[in-house]
Amino acid sequence: MNLAWDDALWALAALHIDPVGLRGIWLRSPHGPVRDEWLTLLQHLRPGVRRLPNNIDSERLLGGLDLSATLNTGRPVTQAGLLAQSDQSLLLAPMAERMANEAAAILAQVLDSGRVTPHGGGDTQDARLGLIALDEALEDEPAMAETLQERLGIWLDLRHLGRQAQASDEVLGLIGVLCSPDEEADEERQNIIRRLRTLRLNDEQIQAITQMSQAMGIASLRGPLACVRLACVLAALRESDEVQDQDLGRAARLCLTPRATQMPAPPEQEAPPEQAQEPLEPQPETPEPPQDEPAPPDNEQPSDTEQPPDSPDSPEEDTPPQNMGELLLEAALASLPPDVLAQLAQSSKTQIRGGGQSRSGDVRQSRSRGSPLPPRPGLPRQGARLHVLATLGHAAPRQKLRTPLASSQGAANRLAIRAEDFHIHRFAERTQTCLIFAIDASGSAALHRLAEAKGAVELLLAQSYARRDQVCVVGFRGTQAEVLLPPTKSLVRAKRSLAGLLGGGGTPLPHAMKLALELALQQRRLGVTPSLVMLCDGRANVSLQGSGGRAQAFQESLSLANAWRSQGLQSIWIDTSARPEPQAEQLAQAMGAHYVPLPQANSQRMAQVVQAAPRHSEPDRAKLSN
Amino acid sequence: MAIPFPFSAIVGQDEMKLAIQIVAIDPKVGGILALGDRGTGKSTAVRALADLLPPLQVVVGCRYGCDPASSGATCSDCTSLKATGKRPKTETRPVPVVDLPLGASEDRVVGALDLEKALSQGVKAFSPGLLAQANRGFLYIDEVNLLEDHLVDLLIDVAASGENVVEREGLSVRHPARFVLVGSGNPEEGELRPQLLDRFGLSVEVRTPQDIDQRIAVIKRRDAFERDPQGFRDEWATQNEGLREHILKARKLLDKVKVGDDLLRLCAQLCQALGTDGLRAELTLMRACRSLAAMQGHKAATPAHLRTVAPMALRHRLRRNPLDDTGSGTRVERALTEVLGA
Repeated sequence: MNLAWDDALWALAALHIDPVGLRGIWLRSPHGPVRDEWLTLLQHLRPGVRRLPNNIDSERLLGGLDLSATLNTGRPVTQAGLLAQSDQSLLLAPMAERMANEAAAILAQVLDSGRVTPHGGGDTQDARLGLIALDEALEDEPAMAETLQERLGIWLDLRHLGRQAQASDEVLGLIGVLCSPDEEADEERQNIIRRLRTLRLNDEQIQAITQMSQAMGIASLRGPLACVRLACVLAALRESDEVQDQDLGRAARLCLTPRATQMPAPPEQEAPPEQAQEPLEPQPETPEPPQDEPAPPDNEQPSDTEQPPDSPDSPEEDTPPQNMGELLLEAALASLPPDVLAQLAQSSKTQIRGGGQSRSGDVRQSRSRGSPLPPRPGLPRQGARLHVLATLGHAAPRQKLRTPLASSQGAANRLAIRAEDFHIHRFAERTQTCLIFAIDASGSAALHRLAEAKGAVELLLAQSYARRDQVCVVGFRGTQAEVLLPPTKSLVRAKRSLAGLLGGGGTPLPHAMKLALELALQQRRLGVTPSLVMLCDGRANVSLQGSGGRAQAFQESLSLANAWRSQGLQSIWIDTSARPEPQAEQLAQAMGAHYVPLPQANSQRMAQVVQAAPRHSEPDRAKLSN
Repeated sequence: MAIPFPFSAIVGQDEMKLAIQIVAIDPKVGGILALGDRGTGKSTAVRALADLLPPLQVVVGCRYGCDPASSGATCSDCTSLKATGKRPKTETRPVPVVDLPLGASEDRVVGALDLEKALSQGVKAFSPGLLAQANRGFLYIDEVNLLEDHLVDLLIDVAASGENVVEREGLSVRHPARFVLVGSGNPEEGELRPQLLDRFGLSVEVRTPQDIDQRIAVIKRRDAFERDPQGFRDEWATQNEGLREHILKARKLLDKVKVGDDLLRLCAQLCQALGTDGLRAELTLMRACRSLAAMQGHKAATPAHLRTVAPMALRHRLRRNPLDDTGSGTRVERALTEVLGA
């Protein structure tokens, strides 16, 4: 039985019982029958759950002055916002991946503090709620804002769940009882909540959860905390008097496994945090690391963890904490989402300088389009549109101050609006992105890796095409760097220019970096957000003057790298050398680039990139894994 | 009010706790900027700040919470109170720790026309905003790097002048707004303008504890707190009380702590070596040394104190050197070794 759907239903029931304690769920799934069924059940459990419209402005979210009531009563009347109205309840946010950063930040704050301050001021109100964030982002699209992901206790991924997925009778029966129309349901819920208050994890269980979260490379403590809470809720749901292994396993699958940034090693091999982004070396006895399996192999996982884990202070193999940890690990991996690697790749992508928005361009303020920001005082000129409601809202309470003047002009029953009342619309707009590929076709690179590099670029091209990015290709070899393809959206042309790229000659890296920098700055002036993908082994040997000399060329590259960084431009450096090259890494660091070695001996990393772009065809995979 | 997590129950985060105590002893050190990953408990520590602060004496009826002991009446409320001829009454109030929510409007921050009065009586009056509330206390901005530009500009100005000037909607009001700015955020999500960085006295980098026992302790305490906030606070009340007394004692000692010329020279050398602009860095260093000495019950600040506070006080003031990519923490350490010797 696939555990994913079963877990999904347990998560639903848990959210119904304890929305506030769990803070909510990050539900990743396309619009489809699976998600619909989940949402239908949610509707049954909580009829009338509030929806958060995607284009909501902060005033509606936080509450503010109620215009009509204020005008009618002649005194300021505040209106509770959606957050305060959802106190002690669940709030549904569809298309959370498109949510404006501002709204996401507000939601994150409210989830943390449980309080909301109305827009125009006034007393803070309780807003203790759980958020159901529906994220429809495809694999290669930016997901929901990370500030918000972080706060939500449960992470659930239904993207790979087929329609035939089944759940256990236990959870179906439970939801049936909780859905029943009469008072029985409410009584049952109260019973469960009462039981929840008495349930605690013992020390050993807390230790197991903490250890596992660390082994999975989860830095934030919100993950394990949510796991602790969820385990109690699950036990309460099962009418159990104590939290048992199955509750822990389920909770770990819903709170920890999806947050993992590395495959858990056996406890004694706790990886230091620096290695969090690095794939683990395959175990000698396992021919294939489990990551490479497209589907979770239920019975293969234990083999990875079977080695007796011994910690320095307790030589006995069967001490309970380790047992517990092992069991928990096994349970957590039982429903390993197939795209766990895509997630890992994604989480490392966000390390790129410039932050999480990098992949869809910078956000800039606009007066004409984009998602709405709160209106600001200002005059409607230069393309700015008057925000009528905010203007009226500003003018309304001030009418009494202005009436003497107004009535003297014989317009007593007209609204007196002054220039200072004018508010204008503001929007946040995402700018376009242009990916500049700089490809090393020199002799040193061509012999080894040019074909692979091209393959990697094609993959990245496919991704950027899906994101409607522009691409631009710079090739360099011999003594020159040239623009093979000026910025375009045509994938075909990009591929053709790649195919025509021949290898051989020196490595004029400084040339290429200079050209890329010029291109990037030019693009930026056009309002496009440029970023560079550099494919090179870092072994520069042709200086800007066109003469040889490694040291000179390297120094030039280094200062150009620094210039690149000081411009605040984003970049990824894919090291194409046979083994990770210190020079390339040094340059990447100087650029503030995200450094990715393209490893030869072990194809894991490349496979990750391949998996991150699942629609890509098979032949490339064969070519890349070499 | 939401119940804050008790300060003394915070596990680890030594640098952050130290910075908070230094500022609690001497708010003149300036604000605190806490940078770090998500889920490291930055905001928990800041919100727990109120635990450390002894209450304030304020003038009853003054909306800006003026100090009755201050000689020159600075705000309009105190002036009109004085004009009545009676001696103003005083009361004790907890130190304000005001949250500046991200969605806050400019009106809400600066203050605006009092709508209630305008509507009901047709009177033009000023309704103070968050800046007034935060006077003599702390202003906390979570996710400070996501704050809208126009609010940042406003804060930079007010934090420097200690006075909020409102000239809008026919109102012309100025009132004291001396507060300690506390910000937290994740640097990956956006950089802060250097001008705003400079308004923070100390900066700390917060990381999650790597030690498994510490992590377990965090989770246990947090879980216990979420289940029963008030009960958990009561459990820690004695420790919190002890901490507050310690701060009070240190405050009394503060004026007696000597900062010798040789230490000031070291401060200056350190700032010179790091090329920090202006004298603000030196001033902050000096005050932080003094505050730390007072906290430890010493009568004089020593180079050891300087060594402890220098990274916090200088880290965020370094100019980014495009040719040198070492982290600013390392650069401060290097300069420290240079100036103080290994």
